[in-house]
Amino acid sequence: MLTVLIYGAVTSAILAMLAVGFTLIFGVARILNLAHGAFYALGAYFAYTFTAILKLPLIVAAALSVALVALFGVAMERVLVRPLRQSSLAVLMITLVVALTTEQALFVAFGSQSKNVPAFVNFPIYLHGVSVDGQRLLALVIAVALIGALWLFIQRTRLGSAILAVSQDPEAAQYMGIPANRIFTIVMGLSAALAGAAGVIAAPFLSVRPTMDQTAMITAFSVVIVGGLGSIPGSILAALVIGYSQTIVAFYLNPEWTGTVSLVAILLTLVLRPSGLMGRAVGA
Amino acid sequence: MRARNWVGGAALVGLLAGLPPLLHNQYFTGVFIVCAIDGIWAASWDFFSGLTGRENFGHALFIGGGAYAAAFLNGTFGFNPWLSLPAGVAIAVALGLLVGVPTLRLKGPYFALATLASAAIMQQVAINLWQYTGGTEGIYGLDTLFESSLGFYYFVLAVLGATVLVLGVAARSRWGTILRAIRGDETACQAAGVNVTVHKIASLAVSAAFAGLGGALYAQYQQAVTPNDFDVFVSISVIIMAYVGGIGSIWGAALGGILLNLMLELLRGMGEYRLWVYYLILMVVLFFMRGGVVAPLWRRLSGRGA
Repeated sequence: MLTVLIYGAVTSAILAMLAVGFTLIFGVARILNLAHGAFYALGAYFAYTFTAILKLPLIVAAALSVALVALFGVAMERVLVRPLRQSSLAVLMITLVVALTTEQALFVAFGSQSKNVPAFVNFPIYLHGVSVDGQRLLALVIAVALIGALWLFIQRTRLGSAILAVSQDPEAAQYMGIPANRIFTIVMGLSAALAGAAGVIAAPFLSVRPTMDQTAMITAFSVVIVGGLGSIPGSILAALVIGYSQTIVAFYLNPEWTGTVSLVAILLTLVLRPSGLMGRAVGA
Repeated sequence: MRARNWVGGAALVGLLAGLPPLLHNQYFTGVFIVCAIDGIWAASWDFFSGLTGRENFGHALFIGGGAYAAAFLNGTFGFNPWLSLPAGVAIAVALGLLVGVPTLRLKGPYFALATLASAAIMQQVAINLWQYTGGTEGIYGLDTLFESSLGFYYFVLAVLGATVLVLGVAARSRWGTILRAIRGDETACQAAGVNVTVHKIASLAVSAAFAGLGGALYAQYQQAVTPNDFDVFVSISVIIMAYVGGIGSIWGAALGGILLNLMLELLRGMGEYRLWVYYLILMVVLFFMRGGVVAPLWRRLSGRGA
């Protein structure tokens, strides 16, 4: 029981990290970024390269990985997405092709078999007599800390207020002297960094494979839909719902069906409450 | 201009019909069969998504549905392989209604997400219910429709021609105009008394029908199905084909499917770098030719301006 509680929390936290970044860039720039899963995969592969191949100290490797993923996100936004922003289909397509290109590049560079990334904490921790993998616990702590920091940043700083302003009305924000384009770039960087960090901290207990971006993308999608597109609290709540459902299905039914949980959740949400748990109502 | 379109179309059909027997190579005939099936898929995607502007990210749901219908009927139960084609159509239409009815009343990206999710669910189900579906191995041992692969090719080419003709005529009809109007301004359509939801669902059903037909053809050609028929990769490839061909043009989408498949075939010499190079080329194409390539290029060449 306690095991399910803890493992569910870890899964939920990783999902929340992915979903919050995805919903943030949608809420602010109205971009459905299909390359979001690629950020996650890149984070994991950078972590693999820096730790397992280059043998850098773990902290340095983690920071470097996150920074590089953020840079990748910023570059993608500036070079490829911004010129195409008028057409939402063009943005969808270009981010999709970025995801596929990244996946293929990882495949060419690292091969299709899964890689092991050394854990930051590789001893079990005992909580009320249940042994929990230390890395998972660390992932949980880091995820909560990062999401909390993002929340404070958005709510408390000037730049955060600017992001909120742009998400409410980009044109009005522009009139108030807020450079909307620069905000988009910053948010894309933040969103990429968060997904990359999720990849880095989850890498040790995942199978790091070039196709890992697809599952991540679809799960993040489902969390965001269930929570309501554009709503950060909604994403967190939905991450808990889906994370725990997946863990319960994996523990008590069959691990094979975990992938289906999130997909069924999407369909149920779309049929029963399309605006999601905490989203704004969508027109019928 | 119309004359030029007819000449261009005839030249194209002549080329597609004449090239395989001239090359006289089993392998190339196979490549052209897959090209033509991809053309059917891309044109059927374009009919719904290109006209109404609702991006369907799970066309593989209909393709895989048609393919598995064929596999169950012909492979598992041993029915006549020609029954696969109507069965594939029926199953795909049923799936189209199942997804379309609850989600097409919504605005925004919800339809795209629901289609993406449904195809992925079906793929999972096809893997997990291995007792019936053969799991990741799929179902094999389907009968072939034609003894010679050239015969199969001409049949598929005829189906492709009929698909493009039927969907192209429908797209230029009053109905097509309504669908395009929905893409332009849904609220205005509703105000004009058009039942937007019914039109969208009906056109999705038509799109699904042709995709299912293509799926059943593909299964009969491969003589096997696997859960990969439902894969996101299939859905995404179809969208890219239609996009490169020129969204909303039907024939352009079909040609986009054929050309991209040939391009992928030409890159075969690149080994494991093949898909990477393919996507890099696509990235450049998507970035610089925002309206697509095939149909807009023809419009320019035949003198109707950019």
